[in-house]
Amino acid sequence: MLKKIIRLGKLRHFVGILPLFTLVFGFGCDNRHYDDRLQMEVQQLDSDLMNRWATSGVVVLDVASNGPAHKAQLETGELISHVIVEYPVKSAGDFNSAMKKALDEDNNLILYLKDKPPIRIALRRRGDKMGLSVEGNGTVRVNQIRPGTPAANADIQVGDIVEKIVDERNIYSLADYKKTLGKVVKHNLTFRTSELIGVKIAAVNALGDLGDARALDPLIDLFQNSHEFSLRKAAISSLQRLVELSVLNDIFQEFQRENVNQLPADSLQANQLESAAILGLLTVDRVENTATLKAPFGTQFRHRSEALYRSITEGQIAELAQQYIQIQVEPEQEIRRACLSILGVLKPTSAIDALVTVLENSAEIPGIRFQAGLALSQIGEPAVDALITAFEKEDTSTKDIAASALGGIGGNKARDRLISALETTDEAAILLTLVDAVAKIGDAPSIRALERQRERYQQDADSGLRIFLDEVFSNLAKKTM
Amino acid sequence: MKRLWLAFVLVFFVVGCGTQNENLAKGKELIKSDKRRKEERAVREFKLALQQPIDNAEAHYLLGFYNSQEFYEPNTTDWEEASISERGRHMFLAYNEESRKYLERLIFETLRDDDLDIQNAALEALKRVYTQGDRNRLISQLQKAIKSGDNRDRHSAHWVFGHLGKDDPSTLVPILVKLLDHRRTETRLNAVKALGEIGSEEAIPALAALIESGSARWKRDREEPEVRQLAVESLGKIGGAAVPELIKIVENKGSSLRVDAIRALATLGDEKVVAPLLDALKEQSSRDVLIPLN
Repeated sequence: MLKKIIRLGKLRHFVGILPLFTLVFGFGCDNRHYDDRLQMEVQQLDSDLMNRWATSGVVVLDVASNGPAHKAQLETGELISHVIVEYPVKSAGDFNSAMKKALDEDNNLILYLKDKPPIRIALRRRGDKMGLSVEGNGTVRVNQIRPGTPAANADIQVGDIVEKIVDERNIYSLADYKKTLGKVVKHNLTFRTSELIGVKIAAVNALGDLGDARALDPLIDLFQNSHEFSLRKAAISSLQRLVELSVLNDIFQEFQRENVNQLPADSLQANQLESAAILGLLTVDRVENTATLKAPFGTQFRHRSEALYRSITEGQIAELAQQYIQIQVEPEQEIRRACLSILGVLKPTSAIDALVTVLENSAEIPGIRFQAGLALSQIGEPAVDALITAFEKEDTSTKDIAASALGGIGGNKARDRLISALETTDEAAILLTLVDAVAKIGDAPSIRALERQRERYQQDADSGLRIFLDEVFSNLAKKTM
Repeated sequence: MKRLWLAFVLVFFVVGCGTQNENLAKGKELIKSDKRRKEERAVREFKLALQQPIDNAEAHYLLGFYNSQEFYEPNTTDWEEASISERGRHMFLAYNEESRKYLERLIFETLRDDDLDIQNAALEALKRVYTQGDRNRLISQLQKAIKSGDNRDRHSAHWVFGHLGKDDPSTLVPILVKLLDHRRTETRLNAVKALGEIGSEEAIPALAALIESGSARWKRDREEPEVRQLAVESLGKIGGAAVPELIKIVENKGSSLRVDAIRALATLGDEKVVAPLLDALKEQSSRDVLIPLN
């Protein structure tokens, strides 16, 4: 009986506590707050976003017109990640009270001394001394620095003039926001907002995938003006994709003209068909002889293709790419590479000089120089003269890349220069490239030239060139079989 | 008295032995053995078992379970793979003989098998149950599975719901929508996935409400982030009328699912998306905003 009473008694307590518990944990997690002073509503950032992007703060939900937030041009959707409060120091009293306020909670502050860069000072534990005392009224000077304290380790000298103390606080939650703002009564404050780069990168990538002409200018703008490398990189990749899509216009116009999503595969340009299949825009069935646009993207893109093609050919994208392939202009190699790919696809003859500059630049990464050569060989015949001129240069790498590019282009002029070089050069490294380039051209005069080389090196059983020539001939024999 | 009991047991044992399907027993023995081509030979026994008057249900089930079309004949090399639909048909015939037992076995046992063909055969059988058998019982068993504490059951159930729902969304979508209120997060998660696989526009309002709950004022009203994220993916799979809902998410600057929504929209290729995406690019970069309070 006694046990029963005790049990019931416990239950009664529990019943009493339960509503309180629910009130605190169930209903107490309000995630919005109306700031009466700034006249705006803020919302705590979703905790899942915090975990995904390691960002934190409060999002501005709504700004009342003509309120302080509105006057400061704070916008809906901005994420406030830091609150920065400035305490001007005009007297020793100012200094002490500012220091106390600024060190509260987070134990660190930023000290502004006249003619010196800002100094960030952090205390290890709450209650530790900073080790700095000041004197004066109007002009406040450092008069003592205690050894072994944070102040002694910083670049502070006795006699330095203290201008202000700045407190920069991370805002992790709505509670942080309320607490920090509650303390700032008289002083001006600054919100530091964080850009949600992830959203922009996703939008940039999506715009590249969608293949819409309207995206072109905003992407170029972002690429040229953003300070974020990740954003610029995404923008140039999307531009590259748009360029790749635009050169498939002929094929998409065929579908558009007939107003169908399926055409006989042999009625379409073979190389464009292959590129479109690689980009996942259509499927080719050789047995059935059909090329079918993939839904939803391929079927929708045929309506947009013409506009994109026009914007790309009439726009500045080729000029832009030419500018950003130079290491002096663009320090990020991934961006230079993307620009070179764009030029390789667009094949503008106006880019030949710029590409040759990259090819010849010994300060550039070899891979990028080689890519410039590749872009020149994609431009083809018009680039032959420039490549021959580059080939005459002293630098071995330049010669090597130019020879390889000439082999990729082919034609009589390129071939004759390569053959004459093959017959006069003794440099082993260049010879290998020349043999490869001449073999790539593969017409009758080229093969005769290669045969002469084989005879020349016949005695030399150990030579790498001899082994390479044998390999080249066995490959040629396989091809003719 | 004791003797009488013994006599009873003996009689039952003898009767029991006499009524056992011998081929079935032989086939099952073979499966357990380590003999060469044991499955093919077992299948032959199961087929023979069907000619006997008893235990046909199990023979059918095992024929569906073990791959057989042309069963093994001694000294032949012929072996043709049974089609999934043929195997499913056998499983369904087992259900026809003993519906309760085999419905449960199909959902809670066969679907768990590692072999994808066996899973597909079970799905095939369940599709037949849906159209030719006790549909209500099937639905209630699937609901039991999706509410189960075992992840394998929940996964199987969402998969079957997804397939059945494609043919009959008007019946199954409301059932799944109701499951979005279930107390178990994983159940809600699987219901969301199934709704995406069905791809019916009927599910859009419920999924949209679930996503929006992320901005609810009180924590108790907010759905778990992973469920909301999957709901965005499901909207992407539905496409069509879901595009405006996805755009709404992109435009909601406080939402944590904007990236997911953008990704879903990118695959749909709808040009309505371009304008909100361009707006997203125009959003402020990181900056310092001075607020004058004096």
